[in-house]
Amino acid sequence: MSANIEALFKPLRIRNITIRNRVMSTSHAPGYGKDGKPQERYQLYHAEKAKGGIGLTMFGGSSSVAHDSPATPWNQVSVVDDSVIPYFQQFADRVHGHGAKLMIQITHMGRRTRWDTDAWLPVIGPSPRREPASRSMPKEMEIEDINRVVKAFADAARRCKEGGLDGLEISGAHGHLLDQFWSPSVNHRVDGYGGSLEHRMRFGIEVLSAIREAVGEDFVVGMRMSGNELLTNGLSQEDCIAIASEYATRGLVDFVNVVGGQARDEMSHAVSLPNMAFPVAPFLHLASAIRREADVPVFHAQRIMDVATAARAVAEGHVDMVAMTRAHIADPHIVNKLAAGRADDIRQCIGAGYCIDRIYVGGDALCLQNAATGREATMPHDVTPTTGPKCKIIIVGGGVAGLEAARVSALRGHDVVLFERENETGGQVNLAAKAGWREALTGIVRWLDAQVRKLGVDVRTGTEATAEMVRIEKPDVVIVATGGAAWRGEVEGADLVHTTADVLSGAVNPAGSVLLYDEMGQHNAASVGEVMATRGCLVEMATHDRLIAQEVGTTNQPVHLRELYKHGVIMTPNMELREVVREGNRLVAVLRNTMTEEEEERLVDHVVVECGTLPREALYMELKEASTNHGQTDIPALLNGVTQPAVANLKNGEYALFRIGDAVAGRNIHAALYDALRLCKDF
Amino acid sequence: MRQRSGAIAAGLVWGLGAALALSAVPMVRRWRKGQAKPVDMVRGLAAVPKRYLVDVHHAVERRPGAARMHALVAGGTLAGTTLLAAGIVSAFRNNRFYWASVGVFFTTAIAGTWLVRKRRSPQKPSYLSGGKFLWLPYALGAWNVGGSLLALGQIVGAGGVLFSAVPLFLMLVGGAGIVVQVARGPMRHAFSGVTWLAAHSRPERFGGGRSTELRPLDLAAPMLGAMVPSDFGWNILASFDACIECGRCEQHCPAFAAGQRLNPKALVQGLALAARGEEASAYTGSPAPHAPPVAGKGSLSSPVIGVDGMIHPDTLWACTTCRACVEQCPMMIEHVDTIVDLRRAQTLMLGEVRPGAAEALRHLRESAESGGRPLSARADGLAGENVPVLEEGGETDVLLWLGEGAYELRYARTLRALVKLLNMTGVNFAILGEAELDCGDLARRLGDEATFQMLAGEVIDTLGRRRFKRIVTADPHALNVLRNEYPALGGTWEVLHHTALLDELVSAGRLKLDARTLPPVAYHDPCYLARYNGETDAPRRLLAACCSQTVEMERHGRQAMCCGGGGGNPVSDVDVVERIPDLRMQQAAQSGAAIVAVACPGCTAMLEGVPEPRAEVKDIAELVLDAVVAV
Repeated sequence: MSANIEALFKPLRIRNITIRNRVMSTSHAPGYGKDGKPQERYQLYHAEKAKGGIGLTMFGGSSSVAHDSPATPWNQVSVVDDSVIPYFQQFADRVHGHGAKLMIQITHMGRRTRWDTDAWLPVIGPSPRREPASRSMPKEMEIEDINRVVKAFADAARRCKEGGLDGLEISGAHGHLLDQFWSPSVNHRVDGYGGSLEHRMRFGIEVLSAIREAVGEDFVVGMRMSGNELLTNGLSQEDCIAIASEYATRGLVDFVNVVGGQARDEMSHAVSLPNMAFPVAPFLHLASAIRREADVPVFHAQRIMDVATAARAVAEGHVDMVAMTRAHIADPHIVNKLAAGRADDIRQCIGAGYCIDRIYVGGDALCLQNAATGREATMPHDVTPTTGPKCKIIIVGGGVAGLEAARVSALRGHDVVLFERENETGGQVNLAAKAGWREALTGIVRWLDAQVRKLGVDVRTGTEATAEMVRIEKPDVVIVATGGAAWRGEVEGADLVHTTADVLSGAVNPAGSVLLYDEMGQHNAASVGEVMATRGCLVEMATHDRLIAQEVGTTNQPVHLRELYKHGVIMTPNMELREVVREGNRLVAVLRNTMTEEEEERLVDHVVVECGTLPREALYMELKEASTNHGQTDIPALLNGVTQPAVANLKNGEYALFRIGDAVAGRNIHAALYDALRLCKDF
Repeated sequence: MRQRSGAIAAGLVWGLGAALALSAVPMVRRWRKGQAKPVDMVRGLAAVPKRYLVDVHHAVERRPGAARMHALVAGGTLAGTTLLAAGIVSAFRNNRFYWASVGVFFTTAIAGTWLVRKRRSPQKPSYLSGGKFLWLPYALGAWNVGGSLLALGQIVGAGGVLFSAVPLFLMLVGGAGIVVQVARGPMRHAFSGVTWLAAHSRPERFGGGRSTELRPLDLAAPMLGAMVPSDFGWNILASFDACIECGRCEQHCPAFAAGQRLNPKALVQGLALAARGEEASAYTGSPAPHAPPVAGKGSLSSPVIGVDGMIHPDTLWACTTCRACVEQCPMMIEHVDTIVDLRRAQTLMLGEVRPGAAEALRHLRESAESGGRPLSARADGLAGENVPVLEEGGETDVLLWLGEGAYELRYARTLRALVKLLNMTGVNFAILGEAELDCGDLARRLGDEATFQMLAGEVIDTLGRRRFKRIVTADPHALNVLRNEYPALGGTWEVLHHTALLDELVSAGRLKLDARTLPPVAYHDPCYLARYNGETDAPRRLLAACCSQTVEMERHGRQAMCCGGGGGNPVSDVDVVERIPDLRMQQAAQSGAAIVAVACPGCTAMLEGVPEPRAEVKDIAELVLDAVVAV
């Protein structure tokens, strides 16, 4: 067991509650709200963490207290009327049933929201200054607005208490109304709410005082805030310490929950939700500094993904509660596994940022490496053994789809053989992880591989399975997870181009000038552009999208762009690659502007393309004819969570055939894992 | 001639008796140098035949070969000799039936003598001693063959050298040998053993009873514990002489098995030699493994522990107080009492404890907790559960005693399972919270009786200020102290082990279990539950109800091997060759167990500390919780 682990297992008493350990999940907006209420999906998501041993789970990031801070944009929770109370009660019962505490974040987002949803009310703020991220121009709050919002906070707080929650925090982080008042970068008022820090703190004091009056003594009230806005003209570290100390001294807050930075624009948003490009716990020092000055417990989240770091943060006295928010999205059972001496079984967050990016690209938070998160009603975090017959399952392909299929099948109690052509498992993820800061992707494979071996799966690496080899095993079920092969696309002269996979695998090592053409808008091309530029290539990255890496979410795309800019990559959106021809020992690439249809030529040493993958399906086709189901997955059975009829009705000597992951169609890691979990959990 | 040789033989027997009686005199004189003990010798002596035939033989019979040997040789020799003594009456000498009886007994004894010889031939097993044992069968043989020949001559009416001079010569030589064996050799056990059985320090043990609690020490006494042999009770000195060096203690001692510097047999022999003023070289059994050399000299009045004495100090601290030796000893010697007496002198008179133990004792004195951890942190691991605290003046049904294991992450898991089960079944329970102090077990086993009595006094006071029906604990060490050792200090409560309570809940139908399909589960009996308190059934009933498949380790129940965690051994910086828990988990593996069920925080910590691959370690409460289907 790592050092300091004991420190995590000390209860923390705050006001009237005792939190059983020092591990928590901070409020966030997974996009699971429904009609402004935390309903079953939302509740089960948090209940799973409670079941997994977490001490405190906080939900409802940016839950709104007033109509002019609408809950709609992130499918959040609306605390503006009493109709939410029964949902809170049900939620609290669920979480308390597992011994954890449940708190909410309530806020008014001020200018950081949209006016064109819900009630179509104008957004408000301390001063009419536009926020780059939300792009809304706020109305300057009149004193009546201030009083109205203060009352709205108090009413919302009362609802939280009546809903049986253990506490709440108000948000003064990420540029909400509270910190819009604090921050000189936003607050330009000249009345008693603007000017000196003392004046700028007034709004928050009124809010917190009103909340305390509404909830009485037996309710925990805290505050989330930045420890340093890291912004010219923003709140300095000294300002933040002063705010925390002042509010704590006045007895207004029972805890402060510290983050680093702010989120006013794309890059600062990415920094405040640090992805795998960042070091571990980059802002722990900010929380630590506040803990030194403010005499209340300090919570902190920001890329604390491993229990060793978490334990150190608590043991060394930097924080009182360590928040492992994304870590719990990857594995909601961290605490129990740790307590059970099974630290090796913890599926550690790799910082892919897929969960948060999904909120912006897709609408709900999902984990890149855990398909059960957010799907607790249908997908198990703990796969239980089957009560039906035990099967012999042959899985071909040891990429993440095959590994997950092997893991789930083994947990179901089946006899599993996994064939992998390469000498190690991991498939395309191993390639992707070769690209610069994407290296942490290997964590996905490492965990799956370790689990599969621990479960006793017969892993045969370095073995390319043939149809004959599969048949010799006398399988009941064959799962083809052979992945996809990089495609060169339909461009004329495609034989002259290389794929991004060729670059990462080392099959080619381009030098000189490179035209990188991206049809997918994903991490692949952007990260390979960065790799080639760091190796000294002069890279132009063209795409027919409106933006470079358009499909990459908001915490990762800015990092790609930052790196591409830094390395002098020329970024050319709205261009389509038409043709490549050889000219001497160089290549001419013909690009066409997708808006004007004008053509341009580039004379380059190499053309590298990212056009996705095509399934490797030869083996599947060979096995298909003899299978009972002709390789078809029964979709109603899949969606209803029942055993595939082909498996349920197997006779001796027959086999059912399925294919999953990119072997079906090129998608992503999550899709591959979900394919596998969803199919195999019912075998 | 024939008539005469019969009379001479009877005379020889009387002579032998006189010589033996004489040889016992110095022994008795020596014992009388020990401390006076209130012993009812008349009742004790009257009880000896039963104690010998029932209790001693119960232990002896665990080695059937040895039991056979002893029955034949001791029975035959004693019966033949006693009968021959009656030959002083001429009427007997003229009766053929009499001689036939004498002959049968002596011939039986010859068979036994043959078995005595076979024990050490051709190769002496390591657990047996050599020395005078090596010619004992010849002395016995001479005596018994002589007796047989004589009887045969008397029966068939034959005289001549073969049936008169030869047997008389043999008996003379054999008898002389026996006198030496009794006066200065292992045969002294015949006399000292009878004395010890009559004057045993724990007569409650006879007839299958249990007496395992350590006894309070009068802290005002000028001498605390035993420094020199004469500090022991006179009967304890007799018990040392009663040791027949059979090596059963050695074979069952976990410390010896792990190469720690303790061999209970060598310890007892060391004490016996010291008391007799003999040198250590007179001991011919296995020594304490790897123990550094000592002077090997001693007397009734010189310190027995130390490099200048008879026994190296390391020996004392290697003991886990598991009582396996006591359980095995056919002479019912009380090794653990002896070790604790010696430790008391080391700790209380000399302050000679190991650094790790000294630190634990300091913490116990200063903060009433062996790790110096805050008392308020004891229940930290239960923070997520509904656990009421019993305040002064409060009342509950079950007082849950947490023990020091509660501080550990691992054991808190067990306690959580237990608390869940209690909450599930609606048992009205509470803990003491910050008011729970260390019960004093560790201090007492380390010989620090002063700290023990201080802690015990406070605990008894704390408990006395609260009302509850009974105490339940998952820690057998705490159970033993609370149940068996506090009464002598004025605190008597009904104390249950958690497995007993759970068993009660299951049999009352308040907890319904459905056996889970698990790989084979073996139960590891905690010493302080099985040997100290005789409880071996409730845990097994629970396991049978919650696991699909149970197996037994070869050593189980009251014969179970210790995990190595008791008696202050873990804090005493003991030098080891192997770790005791490693050995125990190897035994678990040999039994085919994939899960070892435990019922003690010490066992949990020790066995789970064994490197993998090893069986999984789960407390019975955890296994029960997993198997609950209804309440």
